[in-house]
Amino acid sequence: MQKKAACPFKRRPQWGAACLKPSSGRSSPCACAPHGRAEGVTSCACARGGACAAGPERAARSLRAGGAAAAAAAAMFRYPSLEECPLDEEEDGFQALGEEDEDIDQFNDDTFGAGAVDDDWQEAHERLAELEEKPMGSRQQAAPSSEDAELLGEPEDALAERLTRLVIESELEDPAIMRAVHTRGPGAQTMALNTSIWDGPSVLQRIRTPLLTQEMPSVSVLDYALPQRPPQAREEERDPSERALPRRSSSPIIGSPPVRAVPIGTPPKQAAMPNFNQQILCPKPVHIRATMQQRYSAPYGERMSPNQLCNVPNSSLLGHPFPTSVSPVLTHLQRAQLLGGAQAGRISPSQFARVSGLVGSPLPSVNPKLLQGRVGQMMAPTGGFRAFFGAGPAPPSQPQPPPGPVPHLQGLRPQPFRPDTTHLHPQHRRLLHQRQQQNRNQHRGLNGSVGDRGGHRGSHQEQARKDPYANLMLQREKDWVSKIQMMQLQSTDPYLDDYYYQNYFQKLEKLSAAEEDGPKKERTKLITPQVAKLEHTYKPVQFEGSLGKLTVSSVNNPRKMIDAVVTSRGEDDETKEKQVRDKRRQTLVTIEKTYSLLLDVEDYERRYLLSLEGERPALMGERKQKICNMYDNLRGKAPGQERPSDDHFMQIMCIRKGKRLVARILPFLSPEQAADVLLATARNLPFLIKKDAQDEVLPCLLRPFSHVLYHLPLGTVTSLVQQLTNLPQSAAAPATTNLHLATVLQNKFGLSLLYLVLSRGEELQSMDGGTELMQDNQWTELMLLATRELLRVPPTALPKPVPPPSNLLSLFSRYVDQQKLNLLQTKLQM
Amino acid sequence: MNYMPGTASLIQDIDKKHLVLLRDGRTLIGFLRSIDQFANLVLHQTVERIHVGKKYGDIPRGIFVVRGENVVLLGEIDLEKESDTLLQQVSIEEILEEQRVELQAKQESEKLKVQALKERGLAVPRADTLDEY
Repeated sequence: MQKKAACPFKRRPQWGAACLKPSSGRSSPCACAPHGRAEGVTSCACARGGACAAGPERAARSLRAGGAAAAAAAAMFRYPSLEECPLDEEEDGFQALGEEDEDIDQFNDDTFGAGAVDDDWQEAHERLAELEEKPMGSRQQAAPSSEDAELLGEPEDALAERLTRLVIESELEDPAIMRAVHTRGPGAQTMALNTSIWDGPSVLQRIRTPLLTQEMPSVSVLDYALPQRPPQAREEERDPSERALPRRSSSPIIGSPPVRAVPIGTPPKQAAMPNFNQQILCPKPVHIRATMQQRYSAPYGERMSPNQLCNVPNSSLLGHPFPTSVSPVLTHLQRAQLLGGAQAGRISPSQFARVSGLVGSPLPSVNPKLLQGRVGQMMAPTGGFRAFFGAGPAPPSQPQPPPGPVPHLQGLRPQPFRPDTTHLHPQHRRLLHQRQQQNRNQHRGLNGSVGDRGGHRGSHQEQARKDPYANLMLQREKDWVSKIQMMQLQSTDPYLDDYYYQNYFQKLEKLSAAEEDGPKKERTKLITPQVAKLEHTYKPVQFEGSLGKLTVSSVNNPRKMIDAVVTSRGEDDETKEKQVRDKRRQTLVTIEKTYSLLLDVEDYERRYLLSLEGERPALMGERKQKICNMYDNLRGKAPGQERPSDDHFMQIMCIRKGKRLVARILPFLSPEQAADVLLATARNLPFLIKKDAQDEVLPCLLRPFSHVLYHLPLGTVTSLVQQLTNLPQSAAAPATTNLHLATVLQNKFGLSLLYLVLSRGEELQSMDGGTELMQDNQWTELMLLATRELLRVPPTALPKPVPPPSNLLSLFSRYVDQQKLNLLQTKLQM
Repeated sequence: MNYMPGTASLIQDIDKKHLVLLRDGRTLIGFLRSIDQFANLVLHQTVERIHVGKKYGDIPRGIFVVRGENVVLLGEIDLEKESDTLLQQVSIEEILEEQRVELQAKQESEKLKVQALKERGLAVPRADTLDEY
């Protein structure tokens, strides 16, 4: 066992996992062993034997570059699972590696130059690309964004042609590029070019290879070191209200847009298709370390997002001891990739590597730093790589910007046709192109939908058409948002979840049906999908073979934490206030319970309509039962026949909600029950009036009371009047102290109620023809007394706007003479 | 196309000029370019309008991305009626100055109020979790 054959990879933990076992005595001596320590290679994948045939140079090279993990990755490539990789047994191998560091020439051509291109890696990639394309090809037909492809299809085809042409003229002659260009499939472009994060993951996965192939034709920077474009002059005359964005001192992404007087968001003067390919063609190759390629190729199949990559120890995104002059590039690239990955969520590192790798070396003349801004430009201006296009042409902050080519690049505008857009977000740029098409297709639909607002919108639509920033949000994206919003509206029971909406629309429909004006503007109702209610019975987890019951607490099966024991207090040690408070609380609870019953009862009609035939009797029975319960709650559950006290009822009526509850319950009660309620109310009216002084809710009872009254027989009416007026009084009491009546008369509700009752009596009287009535002396007496009282009441005491029913006049005319009738008339403002 | 009849959705408001009131009291006016399900907004050509009394001043801000939870309300601006305002536009410096003066006056009155309450032994009402303004 070679002591020195320590695992060279352990030294650099950030390169991670794959640690290849040194060629210990276990296996046949490694063919690379001759390379020995000088290369830093004492172990390699060939420890496994047989695999080293082509390996030594590569391994040597990579290690020379310090790309230990790359070799490991390559090894991983060969051994599908990590388990197969031989692990290092020696812990102190890293010291050995440290010494090897100095030996490694990190600037040599093999690492950073043309020699860095690895055939092996290329082949491997192509193999995988084929694999990918097979399922992708099948998926292509089912592309949901087919219509987007349609939009871009035409320009992209033209783009492809131009790309081919350009590639031939390329100065790079990078074999990798050439090969990749040739392998680019024709159908690749049309695939999912318009994808974005709005699409599902399946679409995004298709982005990978086809897009990459388009990056191949990287053209020399010098081709595009064009001078300032003419349209820049036009930028100066921008709308002055568009002030410049605050200047950024440092840019988070590669090649942040050059600081300019005109803000980023200004629309381009020209939008043209040729600009598309110009963008593609202007990629500025970035000088990337070749080792990164190899590192990337490993997780190819894993598809880690850059965010994940950061966390993975083997991630090439993380710091690698490159020389400082190179590190800014990497940093920027890392960040760009992070951004791009964060946005697209699907950028495979291998794609990025491919990009970088292609551009690797063949630009010795151009300073790498200047080119870093261009990495984004290399990729197609399509969904998955949008963030990369945030790269502007000029490098934002360089530690040592070389003097020579700088002016070129800083003044670089890749296409003379379009001003100012290279710094734009690629999606923005793409959309600027699309806007023409989309505006034609869509602006009608969108702006026309404003038709609801009326004709004055016409001018607004005119403006909208001229708005160059319109439709930044694609139709697809709008659909996506509305889809989410619709999903939120799904409910199993819309009447439960969205009661007011449903009722509102019912009301509207009833109104429009009642009006029947012909085909009125139909109020479109939002049809929300009704999800079937699924009953899930939850069974708590039970472990087999466990001793005793293990309690696993979950959201469906919460654990009992506190043993709450209800202790009722003794009556004697309660103070008066407490008793009062408790009683009030009990009343409140009763009200709430009755309210629940009431809501259920009110809902029965709807349920009745929805239910099956067989269920209906049961529903009716339930309903009746509930009504009885309600009444019992109201009046107090006295088992006896006679309801001796109105106390319970009065308690309820003292509370505002109780009064409203009674008003709502009344329609459901039987006539006798309703009359009972009425009588109780009338009997205690002064008390109620006093209590209602603050709430003033009693008038809400008027309407249901009147409905009830309509069905009442005369006897009841008589007793009602009696209760209301508290007549006849005892003979001994002086006539002026009928406080009951006085109070009743002075209150709006009381007076209205009295009027109602009297009017009902009059109705009955006039209807009946008098046979029954004449026999009823009580009524006559009461009326006489009542009218006398009414006469006596000072007019100022009466509440003002109480219009008496019309037939009261005839009522009073029976019992009083004309003079008094006139008096009454004026007093009561009849 | 009426996206969702009977509901309130911002989709119909896209590409229109809006006035947005934020929780910290700022008023933004801009073209609503993009939304999402949380009502995060992307405002374009945004202008922050500061109102003091009968005067207002506009500060151009560019593009705003507003997180939905910070929006109090927003409403579309009728471009035709936009100019019929009783308010008087002033320069930015002037309005900022006015705002500073107003803030100072408010702080002084607040101080006096707190002082008065303290003298009477009453507690100062605290509005901890309310929004800024």
